[in-house]
Amino acid sequence: MDQVQLTRVCKAYGSQRVLDNVDFCANRGEFVVVIGRSGSGKSTLLNLIGGLDEPDSGSVAIGDTRLDRISEAERALFRRTRIGFVFQFFNLIPTLTVAENIELPLALNGLARPAIADRVGALLDELGIGESARRFPEELSGGEQQRVAIARAVAHEPDIVLADEPTGNLDLETAERVLHLLNETCRRRGATLLMATHGREVVGLADRVVTIRHGRIEAATW
Amino acid sequence: MVMRLLLKSARRFYLRHPWQLALAIAGISLGVAVYVGVDLANDSARRAFELSSEALLGRTTHRLLPVGGPLPETLYAELVTERGVSRAAPIVEGELRLGSGPGRRYTLLGVDPLKEGAVRGFVGYAPGSAGDVGRLMLEPGAVLLPETVAAEIGAETGHELDVHVDGRPVTISVAGFVRDAEAGADAPAVADVSTAQILTGKLGELDRIDLRLDTEAARALASDPPPGTTLVAVDDGRGGFGELTRAFRTNLTALGLLALVVGMFLIYSTMAFAIVQRRKVMGTLIAVGLDRRQLLAATLLEAVFIGGIATIAGLALGHLLAQGLVDLVLRTIGDLYFAERVAAAEPSRWIYVKGASLGIVATLVAALGPSLDAARSAPAATLRRAALERRSRRRARLAAWWAVPALAAAAIAVAADPRNLYLGFAALFFVLAAGALLTPAATGALMRLAAPAAERGFGLPGTLAVRGVTASLSRTGVATAALAVAVATVIGIGLMISSFRASLVEWLDTTLTADLYVSLASAVLPDGEPVDAILDLPGVAGVSMTRFARLPTAEGEVSLRAVRPGPDGWGLELTSGGDDAYQRLERGPAVAVSEAFAFQRRLDVGGTLTLPTPGGTARFPIVAVYRDYNTGSSAALMSLESYARIWGDDSITSLGVHIADNADPQAVEASLARLLPASSGARIRSTSGLVDVSLAIFDRTFKITEVLRILAASIAFLGVLSALLSIQLEKGRENAVLRAIGFSARQLGVLTLTQTFLLGLAAGLAAMPVGAALAALLVHVINRRSFGWSMELVLSPGPLLSGLALAVGAALLAGVVPALRTRRLAVAGALREE
Repeated sequence: MDQVQLTRVCKAYGSQRVLDNVDFCANRGEFVVVIGRSGSGKSTLLNLIGGLDEPDSGSVAIGDTRLDRISEAERALFRRTRIGFVFQFFNLIPTLTVAENIELPLALNGLARPAIADRVGALLDELGIGESARRFPEELSGGEQQRVAIARAVAHEPDIVLADEPTGNLDLETAERVLHLLNETCRRRGATLLMATHGREVVGLADRVVTIRHGRIEAATW
Repeated sequence: MVMRLLLKSARRFYLRHPWQLALAIAGISLGVAVYVGVDLANDSARRAFELSSEALLGRTTHRLLPVGGPLPETLYAELVTERGVSRAAPIVEGELRLGSGPGRRYTLLGVDPLKEGAVRGFVGYAPGSAGDVGRLMLEPGAVLLPETVAAEIGAETGHELDVHVDGRPVTISVAGFVRDAEAGADAPAVADVSTAQILTGKLGELDRIDLRLDTEAARALASDPPPGTTLVAVDDGRGGFGELTRAFRTNLTALGLLALVVGMFLIYSTMAFAIVQRRKVMGTLIAVGLDRRQLLAATLLEAVFIGGIATIAGLALGHLLAQGLVDLVLRTIGDLYFAERVAAAEPSRWIYVKGASLGIVATLVAALGPSLDAARSAPAATLRRAALERRSRRRARLAAWWAVPALAAAAIAVAADPRNLYLGFAALFFVLAAGALLTPAATGALMRLAAPAAERGFGLPGTLAVRGVTASLSRTGVATAALAVAVATVIGIGLMISSFRASLVEWLDTTLTADLYVSLASAVLPDGEPVDAILDLPGVAGVSMTRFARLPTAEGEVSLRAVRPGPDGWGLELTSGGDDAYQRLERGPAVAVSEAFAFQRRLDVGGTLTLPTPGGTARFPIVAVYRDYNTGSSAALMSLESYARIWGDDSITSLGVHIADNADPQAVEASLARLLPASSGARIRSTSGLVDVSLAIFDRTFKITEVLRILAASIAFLGVLSALLSIQLEKGRENAVLRAIGFSARQLGVLTLTQTFLLGLAAGLAAMPVGAALAALLVHVINRRSFGWSMELVLSPGPLLSGLALAVGAALLAGVVPALRTRRLAVAGALREE
């Protein structure tokens, strides 16, 4: 059974149809890149998978959980336990330090303080940001901020990591490093990585590439 | 072109944030409304009293008043025939109370209609037919009623009415009506002088003779007044209440200004936030080449637009507010200083202009700081929120240091001149300013203290809540300061009122030593009837006796209370005077003066008080100063024996009945009532009844203060609502991230409410010491300098805790809307926006 299964999903914002009868699936541990131009519907696809948005019609199933059939509170719990997000603009909490940003999902999942400290320490080392643990996001470079975002996204060992243009705000060199890091981090954990992007630099790393155009999936490359 | 684009951008910003625009307008308009409302009410009251006293005084320049006894009516004839004073009018005055309207009192003015035209002119605005004047002079009990009163009770010409005149039940006949003076001030009821003599029981006596004298004639009469009289210029007589009502109105104006200051904080808070929120846009504009002056001009123009709309709304609101306030002001001043009811008068239109200017200027001043800040900042720094917050934290620390000179200025203002009321108010504002300056730093300190507990209690969400407050100091700092200032005002006024009430209760307890008080319809001898009969009543342990006399002096009238104390002593709370003060009073001749009198005339123990006596003016040594919360400022007291000896008047006008410990008070009161039935004109009042009445008047007096307190609290609430709502709106994206990570809507709501709770707690805690300092200034400086009253400052927990509750409650309530909004947060949409 596919880990992620979208069937005939439609989504519109006002009169603008963003997703039009989309079928999509992804297997456990797979790295799928969703490529498309701005406004093609790729972010909406990720938001539906992450339970941030609801489809107008069709079904969104993650494992045996039908996201279109559960309440908002259940979706919050689902995100907290099974999903990790990496955003283009990092979206770190400016009032928390680097370490505290990574602690956040762990604390939300009710982990004990020593376990949180251990896991945060390990992640800081793994992602090479140990020295920045007590600094605030505004004091870091873009690349460093995105590393923190990756650490936060995988800290609670989610099944799926959703990355929406994670390199869109970085220079080429840094972007490449971040991509490799994200890919490796997810693979080490066996997490499914779904990445939305409009560039093709990442294609070589992906297991599968899906192209989306005007709200429809046009092609899938293995 | 650039300006048009900038203004278009601002307009669109507010269209996208209608709540923010609405709150900014509400904040400014409420601030303007309170100031304008209070000013309009004050001005209306002032004009009403001017018109009212004009109606009573007319063109009178002087008054001939009796000294130590009644003024015989024969004196009038002597004055006219022998001294050649032609422009003179005899007056008998009384208090008319309508039988049907409880508590409604009017002045009954007994005049000689034929002589009136020379000094006043009632004939001019009373229905002027000769028949009316004839009826007034010839018909027994004929009275011209004020037109409004007649309309109110449905009285028509020829009707007979049962009323009370000076407490005596009498029947009057309505002979016609007196039209109200032009701007609505109530007219007195008018009777012929002989009718008034019958109605008041002052047969063959006058209360005064009103005169219109030129300087020469006045000098001649003053140097050689008829025996037992003194000549007083009308302005001197007016001075006393003029001073007191001025002090009352100054106090009220100051409260209105206080509300405006709180309102200005709110205006600052909302305008500053609106600009601070667009710093990034402004940074971008500067980065693309916009001139800083253009940016500054655009933001100020925007402030003028918003301020203009809000000011118009504020003026309309202030107009409505004044209609409610004016009645309270008039009733309070009427309770305190006047016997007659006074109707509102049309206030000056300049107040609207003043209010409009204040609204616009306050908005501009409020917008200037953040606009200058944004325009001066380097574009890169303007784009970085972190730089702004760092600077805000630095400024909060610096502001705290500025509180030191502000407090020093307050101390200097208090010490510079112990009598200057305006310096007292300046001190009040300096203390408020110091409180506002300290609040952001105090908030930071409180958050540092709260952080460990918040983390232990709520983990990272707790830390997030605490840090959210300090990390947004550019937004929360002014909001907290505004809330703290408003709450401190509420606490300060509350503490002042409770202190005053406690002092009043204590004073009444000391002063009212007897159990029952009897006001006699007419003066009686202390060793005749009915005093002997009262002393013979079973259960009566003794009586205290009092004679009230109003003595005219060059500086105004002095209310002299001549007392023979009862078994429980003099009932005085001395604020100055040695242990032998009572013996010296008893030995006489010596006087004690009220605290307010001593303050206003700079009198003290060891000095003397000059009073007119039948044998000419005499100087009496002052042996004590006593606390007296009666509103007549010029009050003095001496022994009944001294008074009788010097003024040749050994009658008394009221009695205090002391009930024996083992007697039944109700039985004594009943037998006293049988002895002195209401028909005798005597009034019996129990001490508890007097206390209740006094406290009821006190509460009514401070009702307007309460209204202003509520308004200040409303402004505080609006201020904090505006700031918190804006902050939470701005946090839309951050909240979306938290939701994406897995925060439930409920958790996010709790986080929002925790932040607002902490903000309210910080403001409330900061407001408590500031409020206590304000109360100390109001009690020891403002009240003392306004009315001459001293009182104890009672730091009762009620006002302090209710202030804290108000701050926390307002903050929590203000947090509800943003917390509810987080439930409806469109996470994906909020994340998309950048």
